[in-house]
Amino acid sequence: MSRMIADFKAFGLAYLRSRTGFFFALIFPVILILVFGAIFSQTGTQKIDLPVQDLDNGTWSQTYLAKLNATGAFTIDMISPDVDFNRYIKDELKVLALQIPSGFNESVNNATRGHGPPATIILKGDPTNTYFTVGMGVANAVALQLNSTVVAMVQTENLGSPQYTFIDFFVPGMIAFTALTTPMFSMSSICSEYRNRGFFKLLGSTPLKKSEWLTAKILWYTVLMLASIAIMYVVGIAAFSAHFTITPMAILLVIVGVFLFTSFGMFLGVFVSNPESASALANAIGFPMMFLSGIFFQLESMPAYLQYIAKALPLTYLAEGLRATMSLGNDVVAATDLVILLISGLILFMIAARAMSWKGK
Amino acid sequence: MAEVVLDAKGLTKTYGDMNAVDNLDLQVFKGEVYSMLGPNGAGKTTTVEILEGLRNPTSGTAKVFGFDVQKDYDKVRSRVGVLPQTFEPWDRIRPPEAIEYWAGLFGRKISKKEIRGLLEMVDLAHKDNVWGERLSGGEKRRLGIAMALVGEPELIFLDEPTTGLDPQARRGLWEIIHALGDAGKTVFLTTHYLEEAENLADRVSIMNKGKTVVSGSPEELVNLYGGGTHVVLKSAGEEGFVALEKLGYKSTFHNRDVTVHVPALMRTKDFMAQINQSGVAYKDFETRRPSLEDVFFNMVGGRMEEGVLKQ
Ligand SMILES: Nc1ncnc2c1ncn2[C@@H]1O[C@H](COP(=O)(O)OP(=O)(O)OP(=O)(O)O)[C@@H](O)[C@H]1O
Ligand SMILES: [Mg+2]
Repeated sequence: MSRMIADFKAFGLAYLRSRTGFFFALIFPVILILVFGAIFSQTGTQKIDLPVQDLDNGTWSQTYLAKLNATGAFTIDMISPDVDFNRYIKDELKVLALQIPSGFNESVNNATRGHGPPATIILKGDPTNTYFTVGMGVANAVALQLNSTVVAMVQTENLGSPQYTFIDFFVPGMIAFTALTTPMFSMSSICSEYRNRGFFKLLGSTPLKKSEWLTAKILWYTVLMLASIAIMYVVGIAAFSAHFTITPMAILLVIVGVFLFTSFGMFLGVFVSNPESASALANAIGFPMMFLSGIFFQLESMPAYLQYIAKALPLTYLAEGLRATMSLGNDVVAATDLVILLISGLILFMIAARAMSWKGK
Repeated sequence: MAEVVLDAKGLTKTYGDMNAVDNLDLQVFKGEVYSMLGPNGAGKTTTVEILEGLRNPTSGTAKVFGFDVQKDYDKVRSRVGVLPQTFEPWDRIRPPEAIEYWAGLFGRKISKKEIRGLLEMVDLAHKDNVWGERLSGGEKRRLGIAMALVGEPELIFLDEPTTGLDPQARRGLWEIIHALGDAGKTVFLTTHYLEEAENLADRVSIMNKGKTVVSGSPEELVNLYGGGTHVVLKSAGEEGFVALEKLGYKSTFHNRDVTVHVPALMRTKDFMAQINQSGVAYKDFETRRPSLEDVFFNMVGGRMEEGVLKQ
């Protein structure tokens, strides 16, 4: 334990004094957040995403939906009547969603004949959101024009605000990404540097154990990551009024993520002979992962075959888990991701610790 | 009999079809300064690193404090200090921090005063604010020695600690090594400076091409393999040269001086008595004792300059 602390202290000191490592761990993610946040946070003129659940499925509801679609304001996504709609909206963080109640056809027919009040269409979601207001306007206008007299109206149902913005999506992804780059890039080059400069032999001549050395590295990167998270959190809130929170589950995920990617970096370092090729290799692996694991773009917006690749990448699970716990408050999803990461981390750690040797040839 | 600290039997390390270390036996006893002397590529570092548990031998066994270097080194690591031949400190760690780091690795709490003491011993106290990468070659080496000593080891390996140092720095290191010997530490030292081995070592082994050529205390080696003393009889002239040849001594004649080779087993005193009796005339005489250099020349068949063997 004292050996590990000694190693932790010396390594941390040297790390802080090398400014590049420091830059990539703490400053670089902030720059990315500011740049991408500024680009993607604009409310564009794109269509509004609208899930629709038609519980009636009669002629009138179909007519209504066809007219709604014809406005071009929405991308309509039909949700099966079996789905618990409120739950769906919450889980998927929809700002607005439309439900046509059963008996809609009959109500419209009755209203047409003057035998009853106008039928209702329910718009659920977050009334404080601008998209909701816009969507409400369009949906109601279409309802009012369904027939020559008013036969249907839109009523709203407040489901509270998911308030999930791009930055809420992006910052947890960025945290995941930093948890990958910081340990992986630096471990892979450290391993080859230590081998080439005889530092492993030097350490090997002391009572320090390989596992203690590794643990000290993991500990150091964890501390660094916690500092990085704190900074990203402050920047996200201050610059973009983000809504995510730092949860205990998020901390756990980051620790396990650091553990996994430190092991992975060490694994890479075992196989490359010099620090330059080690960092080239880490880049070659790290950057595609960053795009494939849905750090910048939602996985759902990618082609299916890329989604399969994404499912095989650990970063995907870290990003997903962090988003789930930090932005969506869904610790069940996050816990599943945690388990996946922990298992793959343990496997990688064992492979790497075995492959790495401090002995000379 | 002193405790055996290092014990190697039939140690062999093969690279390709070359034996870097070839069936080497060696024993080092507690409290000894043992020096392995040999030219570049003799196999010194390979041997040392096997004994440090940092490389595996191809065959043979080695024990440190009775523990097998391949299986049980963990049990003795804390008792061993190491200065590798290619020692480099970390770039961005200052000497006192490096000492503290190493103390921690050996599980030792060390005070600022003790750190200072160690740095003073290796004459680095004035460099305590300089990053490792900014130290000179000699300063780096001295820091390495301080690091090797911080765990208070009983056995210390120093692999060519003085190579490339200026004569003054070398003397400084010799003093440190002497002090270690006086403190009862066991020191395993490799070098290709003959005078270093002669000066420091209780026992020397001369190594060449992976094999031990000879080993023993410097005096023993000089007596056995130095080829005896040379006596120069000043102005003995040609008559003297002829007289000595008649007495059966190998001599050379140069500039009116005669240099006589006195066999190793004969005492110089007895030789001089014989000369005086035989009436050979000379103005004065000088003796030149053989040194390890002569031993090396006689046994290896070449001279060594900065580690390079010249046949
Ligand atoms: N890892 C290795 N692979 C192949 N050959 C090696 C290896 N290590 C050492 N050798 C060879 O083994 C021989 C002995 O090397 P070693 O480093 O032990 O010599 P040395 O006596 O320490 O020399 P020096 O005085 O130059 O330090 C050399 O010929 C060297 O080239
Ligand atoms: Mg060597």
